[in-house]
Amino acid sequence: MRIVVLLKAVPVVGNEKLVDGWRVDRSAGLEANGNDEYVLEAGLKLIEQHGGELVTLTMGPTPALEAIRKALAMGAARAVHVQDPALAGSDALATGRVLAAALSRMEYDLVFVGADTSDGQGGVVGAAIATRLGSPYLSYAARIEPDPSAGTVRVRRISATGYDVIEAPMPALVAGTQLLGEPRYPSLRGIMQARSKQIATWSLADLGIDASSVGSGASLTDVDSATPPPARAGATVVRDAPDVAAERIVEFLAARRLI
Amino acid sequence: MSARLTPEQVELRDAVRELARERIAPRAAEIDERGEFPRDVVELLARHDVFALGYPAEYGGLGEPLLTNCLMIEEVSRVCATSGLVLAVQALGSLPLLLAGSDEQKRRWFPGLASGELLDAFALTEAGAGSDPAGIRTRAVRDGDGWRIDGTKRFISHGSVADIVAVFAVTDPEAGRHRDLSCFYVERGMPGFEVARLEHKMGIRGSPTAELVFDGVRVPDANRVGEVGEGFRIAMRTLDRSRPGVAAQAVGIAQGAVDVAVAYAKERVQFGRPIADQQMVQAMLADMATRTEAARQLLYEACERIEAGERDASRWAAMCKLFAGDTAMAVTTDAVQVLGGYGYITEYPVERMMRDAKITQLYEGTQQIQRLVIARALLSGQ
Amino acid sequence: MAGEIWAIGEIVDGQPTRLSRELATLAASLAATAGRGARSVLVGAGAGDAAQALAAHGPDVLAVEADTADRPAATVIAGHVAALVREHQPSFLLVGASNDGRDVAGILQALLEWGTLVNAAGVAWQDGGPQAEMSVFGGRLSTLSHLASDHGIVIVRPSAVTAEEAAQPGRVERAEPSDVPELAAVRVVERIREASAAVSIEEAPVIVAGGRGVGGPDGFGVVEDLADALGGVVGATRAVVDAGWIGYAHQIGQTGKTVKPALYVAAGISGAIQHKVGMQLSGTIVAVNRDPDAPIAEFADLMVVGDLFEILPRVSAAVRARRGG
Repeated sequence: MRIVVLLKAVPVVGNEKLVDGWRVDRSAGLEANGNDEYVLEAGLKLIEQHGGELVTLTMGPTPALEAIRKALAMGAARAVHVQDPALAGSDALATGRVLAAALSRMEYDLVFVGADTSDGQGGVVGAAIATRLGSPYLSYAARIEPDPSAGTVRVRRISATGYDVIEAPMPALVAGTQLLGEPRYPSLRGIMQARSKQIATWSLADLGIDASSVGSGASLTDVDSATPPPARAGATVVRDAPDVAAERIVEFLAARRLI
Repeated sequence: MSARLTPEQVELRDAVRELARERIAPRAAEIDERGEFPRDVVELLARHDVFALGYPAEYGGLGEPLLTNCLMIEEVSRVCATSGLVLAVQALGSLPLLLAGSDEQKRRWFPGLASGELLDAFALTEAGAGSDPAGIRTRAVRDGDGWRIDGTKRFISHGSVADIVAVFAVTDPEAGRHRDLSCFYVERGMPGFEVARLEHKMGIRGSPTAELVFDGVRVPDANRVGEVGEGFRIAMRTLDRSRPGVAAQAVGIAQGAVDVAVAYAKERVQFGRPIADQQMVQAMLADMATRTEAARQLLYEACERIEAGERDASRWAAMCKLFAGDTAMAVTTDAVQVLGGYGYITEYPVERMMRDAKITQLYEGTQQIQRLVIARALLSGQ
Repeated sequence: MAGEIWAIGEIVDGQPTRLSRELATLAASLAATAGRGARSVLVGAGAGDAAQALAAHGPDVLAVEADTADRPAATVIAGHVAALVREHQPSFLLVGASNDGRDVAGILQALLEWGTLVNAAGVAWQDGGPQAEMSVFGGRLSTLSHLASDHGIVIVRPSAVTAEEAAQPGRVERAEPSDVPELAAVRVVERIREASAAVSIEEAPVIVAGGRGVGGPDGFGVVEDLADALGGVVGATRAVVDAGWIGYAHQIGQTGKTVKPALYVAAGISGAIQHKVGMQLSGTIVAVNRDPDAPIAEFADLMVVGDLFEILPRVSAAVRARRGG
């Protein structure tokens, strides 16, 4: 089984360094996107079960290497890193285009992507990539069960009313959630082995993509302004005994017309 | 970032730091309170190959130098000294094998020790022979093609949970000082080998400290490590490489206390301001951090010199252990002071750290013995 | 003439979702400001009937009957909407930030090559196009963004606007677009209903959420009871969902849902950043926690220090007494 995991390196949530008012500094302090680690874990388990190879695919600047190396230490066989100065500031549309171009140069049965990213591309890139590749798209996966002999994959997809069991032929793209299970910590042996694993770097030229079609210049969305949200007045602190505390909560809610 | 660590060592350290912070730290108070050996932590460390680090690659290890192992002991001890000691004891109990074992003996035990499937212990100390190995009474006498061991060992860390124990016994009482001891690996379950009792301790309470009784234990000659009469030399060379492990534990405890004190000082408000704004508190924090860093640097230096096989390895081992142990004691005591009344109660971890720190001034040679070793080396012109 | 603003709806259990109604209201108000036309689009089984309900919010509804029995709704919706877009040439599509909505938006983005504004907590009309308000970087910034071209997609969060019925309801028009793009087939094998999944915490006006402080699955009893008394739903932190105390559908935060209720009661929740990003936009935040130094004290409006098992039942009783009296 060949699995490609799309791995995005994102700023540590709550610890983003901002430049020019609102742009996030991606020159340092990146980590693997939370949901991407869940699908990576799911992929590693499937490789352990079925055999084969798991490869990560990342688009991002040099500091993304830290997240890539962690994925290699966790057990990915090798990594592809799409890196090009022209990519800085790309919107979701360009990101989908670039990753689809990279995937079309790779061989796989399954592509895994996190259901969304913490730095906010809105969880649309997976669907866009699958559409560009003409691949089936199975999203919001809580469980992923490929059947290599039948050449199909079955996914338990979280729905508004429970879950749907959905199925498609492979190759297919699956967007996964936290319900896939906790990602492992890399073992020390894994960390040491990761050093000798291959990280292939692809540029836009390698992918045959025109640099002017990506990056902030080509972005179809622009930020007009960025302001900190209005600060809360600060908490009123209640330390009374339960009876009085409960009474004060009720008074507080009543004063704000919440009950 | 340290200038002397390789990028790989930094990566390994950071991985264990994360593991310790997320998986071991939440267990630390419970391990201390219940005084139970943390099997789950052993399993965690095994699964992540932390035991494997220091063993040679050809025997299932990762072949890393002493310093890398000490980094791991430091990081784990930073959140839980009992758990840090798990790594230190495993290394200690394997050193006689590493230093004097045959290829066959290494092949027999190292893979299990490296994977964490087997635990070991190091049994030198006796009730009447702590700092002075000349007082050792445990005897090993020839018995057919093997040996018969009789005696009692005391204060043996992990003695009750170890699968194999390096036991130092007198084989030739006439051979004179330094030539009378030999080293044997006694296996759990060998008839006559019993755990007589466990000590109730002030600190490192999750680490079982056992009294071991050997009552006519039959040990095959294949379990003898090194030559007959080589035991004292093996024990002393073992301590040269194991004392940095205790120093690493001490540095970790000290750093853990600094971590807690700094965080607390920033949060605790008195007189309308965080106490971190008070210069008297700032001075304490500054001294604590500086001492800890000095101990760490001396430890790293010692590791490299010992690894390089320098002639005065004993002095470096003693110096780093002496300084780090005293630092851990002083820094944890100050941390309790920074936290005030909260430092003295179990709601915060610094009282535990202070109790744990004390042992680093006592075991693998008291601080007085370290000074003796250092002074002897200085005066003999080494 | 300038292109229309479309609201792409969803059907659940034969009815347009609340989010679809909000989008219809939003499309109508944006169109009124812009002097453009607005329309809702509903695709799926029973679209004709559901469209009647949706039309009450003002815009005319394009209803496309399509079989969604054994195909994921998002694929069916996106394919038909793409065909309708080619036919009618609207300028802007409002899509809901639900699971299906995000999938629809992603597919449309690739099919149409349109720019996409995501996670809009509010949308206004500004300089000839929609301007979206988003909370980014863990809530540290609120940004206003616009599309750089004269068409695009806006993904809108629940509760960005309140759904309102219009004085003049819209008309329902049946549509049968041709040349619907063929998307790779995914088959629905079965649909499982789970009572626990039916909570719509993103739409609830009141949320009572529990964290580690509730101690275990049984501890959620007092949380549920207060939610019931306040007419709200139960939320949870990732830690307790991971521990299996309550289902994932209740999870609020970085890898769960983002909510913006009028009242958020945090019981036994420390308020780590991963949770904070999912609930900090709530109108009023009341925290009950043993630890006065818990991070949640920094962004709560009322911080009650104490035992939630002592306090919550008393609040429930008092709220019920008020309502009864």
